[in-house]
Amino acid sequence: MSVFDGLKFRKVYSPIHNLDPRMKFVYVCVVFVVAILFNQLLVLLALFLMPIPFVLVAGVQKEWLRSLRGAAFLATFIFIVNIASNYFTSGYVLAIIDVESAIAMTLRFVVLVASFSVFFLTTSPDHLGLALEQIHIPYEFAFAFTTAVRFVPVLAEEAQTIMDAQKARGLELEKGGFLKRIRNYIPILIPLIVSAIRRSLELAEAMESRAWGATKNRTNLYELRLHRGDFILLAISLLVLTVAIYLRLYVSVPMISQIMF
Amino acid sequence: MSIIEIENLTYTYPGGKKPSIDDISLKVNKGEFVLITGPSGCGKTTLCRCFNGLIPNFYQGELKGEITVKGLKTSSKQTYELAKYVGLVFQNPENQLFALSIEKDVAFGLENLGVNRKDIRKRVDWALKQVGIYDLRERSPHEVSGGQQQRVAIASVLAMRPELIVLDEPTSFLDPLSAEKIFKVIHELNTKLGITVVLVEHRLDLTARYSDRIIIMDKGKICQDGKPRKILISEETRLLGVGIPKATLLYHMLTKDGCNLDNSIPLSSEELASFLKESLETHD
Repeated sequence: MSVFDGLKFRKVYSPIHNLDPRMKFVYVCVVFVVAILFNQLLVLLALFLMPIPFVLVAGVQKEWLRSLRGAAFLATFIFIVNIASNYFTSGYVLAIIDVESAIAMTLRFVVLVASFSVFFLTTSPDHLGLALEQIHIPYEFAFAFTTAVRFVPVLAEEAQTIMDAQKARGLELEKGGFLKRIRNYIPILIPLIVSAIRRSLELAEAMESRAWGATKNRTNLYELRLHRGDFILLAISLLVLTVAIYLRLYVSVPMISQIMF
Repeated sequence: MSIIEIENLTYTYPGGKKPSIDDISLKVNKGEFVLITGPSGCGKTTLCRCFNGLIPNFYQGELKGEITVKGLKTSSKQTYELAKYVGLVFQNPENQLFALSIEKDVAFGLENLGVNRKDIRKRVDWALKQVGIYDLRERSPHEVSGGQQQRVAIASVLAMRPELIVLDEPTSFLDPLSAEKIFKVIHELNTKLGITVVLVEHRLDLTARYSDRIIIMDKGKICQDGKPRKILISEETRLLGVGIPKATLLYHMLTKDGCNLDNSIPLSSEELASFLKESLETHD
């Protein structure tokens, strides 16, 4: 179950959780664009620090750090590749500036992970589905999304049951080499897929019985409304974007190593 | 006035050799509480699917005969048109709830019908109160117990204000105590709101007391149809292997052994106890 724990959204209420997902998404996109525009460590460092107040207000530090730790492997990989390519292209010497640009590239990736994870940690799937609906994505897609989220824990539980049942019949999952181990999972996957298909049929039946597709103008119990906080967030996002574009066009941002040495 | 009228209905699933329901004719009156029972695979579930047009709209296969629900021919109506009049509750609560909060699940049918937001809110709250889970409305359906999930399922069809609710073994995933609670809820829907109930169930000892009529099916045919007390005492019912209430069985044994209980046939332990007490007192 522990693998799926991260996908379970816990209901918490904080000013950040209550923000409109659409505005949060605009903010995340702005961060994304700015991170792509610059390759200077200074700017990326600032971008990395930006989500921290959000994380603290929302009270999701622990989960946020866990997602950063999850990104550590890929970040290390990016760093090594950058260092190596700088080393080989600049004729087998490694200047301080090369190290800095490698760090910047790594940080760019971390910034993306950091801000996206704030978004997902503070947005309930329900809200996200609602947001998808309100930006006029066809309801079928929004429904598929929320249903998928809803059934993740159910399927995880079922996978566990099937695993226990097959182990009780003598299936050894942890035995053999790499390929053998993958093959060991076939007796778990097949019943899982079969039952998922059966489940989806029952689900479709239940939906049909509750007037699925009766009208094109479907209504919704909830409605997302923009509040003051959402406008403030939008203003912050736009400000960040304008400042970034201005800096990119008219100011040359120095490297940290250029300032220091 | 009858709400369901079935005439010579025969249905075979695609690829099926034998018909799952075979030449069934049936009338259900408005306000009735009908209990359908019979051995597994006798066609109970198939019959339920006919009531709201899942057969023939969702399931292909061969349908002969005629079925009208509230005067609408199910063969020429879409399931969503019938959903306003017929609510169908299924066996597994987990697979009929798909929203992330309970109230959202109850609202699902109304949203599909395009009811406006204010009315949805009113009807959702009303339905949740009827089945006694109003306090759980913001929880996820996945977090609550099986019995509560099944109540959510009932509320979610109730919110559409149907005239007929069909429940297909709603308690087979539940423990006896939760099952009893569910049956009480269903009984109240029938007596207080006047909703016609068709309940498919094996647990007759918990449900027979609420029913106006019992139908026993076997091999796709209706083989018994009538008043509960008459049906449950008959030899034919016993031979089919239907789960006759213990109290009724005991009564049957006692009268066979010459014990003279002049009262009518009991359907529950409470009834039997009071009948026995009465006759013991009069014989003293």
